[in-house]
Amino acid sequence: MKRIEILEKVEGEVFLHYHYRQGRIDHVEIEFPNYRGMERLLVGKPLLDALVITPRVCGICGHSHLIATARALESMASMEIGEKAREIRRITLSCELIQNHFKWLYLVILPLLEELGFPKVPPFQGLQGANIAGKIIALFGGQYPHTSYAIAGGVVCDPTSLDIYRASILVEELHRLYEGEVQRGGEPLFDGKLLLNRIARFLLDHGVAELGKGWGRFLHLGASEAIERGERREASTEKIEEEPSRLGYATNLLYEGKYWEVGPLARRLSDPLVAQLIEEFGDGLLSRIVARVSEIGWLLEEVRESLGKIDLSQPSTLPFPTGIGGYGEGIVEAPRGSLIHRIWARDGIIERYTIWTPTQFNLANGTRENPSVAQKGIRGVKEGTVAALIFRSFDICSVCTTH
Amino acid sequence: MRTSTKPSKLSLLWLQGATCNGNTHSFLNYPHLEAVLERLEILYHPLLPSRYRIGELEEVEKCHILVVEGGVREGVKRGNREFKELLELFIEKAQWVLCVGSCAVYGGLFGERGVALKGEEPTPFYLPKVINIPGCPAHPDWIATTLWAVVEGRELIRDHLLRPKEIYGYTVHAGCPRNEYFEWKVDAREFGKREGCLFYELGCQAPYTRGNCNQILWNEVSSKTGVGMPCIGCTEPDFPQENLFSTKTYMGIPARFPLGVPKRAYLTMTGVAKSFKIERLERRLFEED
Repeated sequence: MKRIEILEKVEGEVFLHYHYRQGRIDHVEIEFPNYRGMERLLVGKPLLDALVITPRVCGICGHSHLIATARALESMASMEIGEKAREIRRITLSCELIQNHFKWLYLVILPLLEELGFPKVPPFQGLQGANIAGKIIALFGGQYPHTSYAIAGGVVCDPTSLDIYRASILVEELHRLYEGEVQRGGEPLFDGKLLLNRIARFLLDHGVAELGKGWGRFLHLGASEAIERGERREASTEKIEEEPSRLGYATNLLYEGKYWEVGPLARRLSDPLVAQLIEEFGDGLLSRIVARVSEIGWLLEEVRESLGKIDLSQPSTLPFPTGIGGYGEGIVEAPRGSLIHRIWARDGIIERYTIWTPTQFNLANGTRENPSVAQKGIRGVKEGTVAALIFRSFDICSVCTTH
Repeated sequence: MRTSTKPSKLSLLWLQGATCNGNTHSFLNYPHLEAVLERLEILYHPLLPSRYRIGELEEVEKCHILVVEGGVREGVKRGNREFKELLELFIEKAQWVLCVGSCAVYGGLFGERGVALKGEEPTPFYLPKVINIPGCPAHPDWIATTLWAVVEGRELIRDHLLRPKEIYGYTVHAGCPRNEYFEWKVDAREFGKREGCLFYELGCQAPYTRGNCNQILWNEVSSKTGVGMPCIGCTEPDFPQENLFSTKTYMGIPARFPLGVPKRAYLTMTGVAKSFKIERLERRLFEED
């Protein structure tokens, strides 16, 4: 039996072509329906204009695209940015991840849990968290979403010490909100009264905690790491292959010819809580949800650390050469995982631009014989809502995937 | 005795064409969203709790406000339907059509056209019920206050491109914290400094771009030009132009002048300002005396 379902609230939609056998999902074909042609739009443009265009790939993770472009340009010019710019970019990028995770939890995951019987939680506290994170980005970037404040060579802003204090106060407010409502660091996961504690217990009681397992292969390209069955090795983008689409507009991404998982679960494997959950419940629904939500806590620490480290007397930007050419590559750990921009240029003009996004790894449309991480995770599930929850646990971005 | 009556809610349907979802997320940043949503019944929104799913939109009989985000383009699908079909269906049903973001207004980055305009040219949907709110993305305050006007039954005065004049009657330059440098023609020659005007060398389009960004600020705290990024003209029909980080000049004179300022007036004022050297503006802001 075959049934097509529309999965929404994934920054657009995905068509899921479910194949059932004896009442259980046996295989799913994943179709991303809409295409805009971002890469083609960039051809022939002056290099720096990419800084304005690529954030418009996505309304929720456009800042990651900006940083990827800036890094690709800097790699083309073989330049390193200064420490001040590096810390400021770390702050704004972390804040984009934070706003994303708040929205994902409150707008994407909780409504589905509610369908399964979890008590209703209004979205506004989550939106408040996202809003504060956006304010911190705007202090340095001027606005969120869609700033292009990170330019090739550094950042345009020249913050005062009061800007740093403003950001610090907002980080503390965000921290209070997170620890007051969502999760308190160091507390036992299954005991507390906070949102993540309640979700963890619910998934466990509902018997779905261990569903949605991947292949145990994780890519954390931002740290050049490939982790397979607990073993870490150095990763390289040269081992990524792009496979043509079997359906819809997305292409599949493979690493060493296999499907891997990217995202918070991949980059937080050394978080003791995440490691323990994987040990006990596998790399499934519970581990994936907890890894993403508790990443907020880690990111807040990183933002605090960077705010404390910025030396305002350093230059914000270094001179970037004009009219350059060659090849440049920018890797970013975006909200949903490793994001790669590659640029080929001549005399300051873009000749070719490719964007590889996290969802192309996690939700690749593989085959029944060789399923991608999400396709493997869904196998054997009966109920549509649970299947949707497994898909959304990857935090899908439809607009990024087809760009 | 004061009585409290609950005001009736107007129904809203948020439809996406070819888009990055930037306006959806911009609107979610509105700090008083809960109060605005109190007055609306969300039939469909891509992320907020909604009465219908995307595959059920054909069941929607009445919709007071249609919000459109994204450009109009062949082949874009929403649910099982073509976006263009749904758009036509709901433009017909809706009392008001709010086009949010430059893609929905002019066609923008991804569209073959916008809803009521293709660039500046009217389409068959150039109708009195359309309110255009360009910007990439549109500012959350623009979306929220326009919705509020509709909810309150007030009409906003609009210009010939159907944009509310109270938003787009200003230029982004108005309120820019770097105005002193513009007045006295002190240029920023490189990025990364809080001093200097970005108009002469670094591509800033604020003096001829419409919008009140520098008055109401973004995320309640800042603006692009405030932090030192040039305005990229994102509310204008020709967005994005090329070479966004440098100013096009002819013989040292900017190719475009501030909105409504004749070349002769501009050159005269510039000449006068440049003939003086204002020491305070030449120095770094916090340099010791």
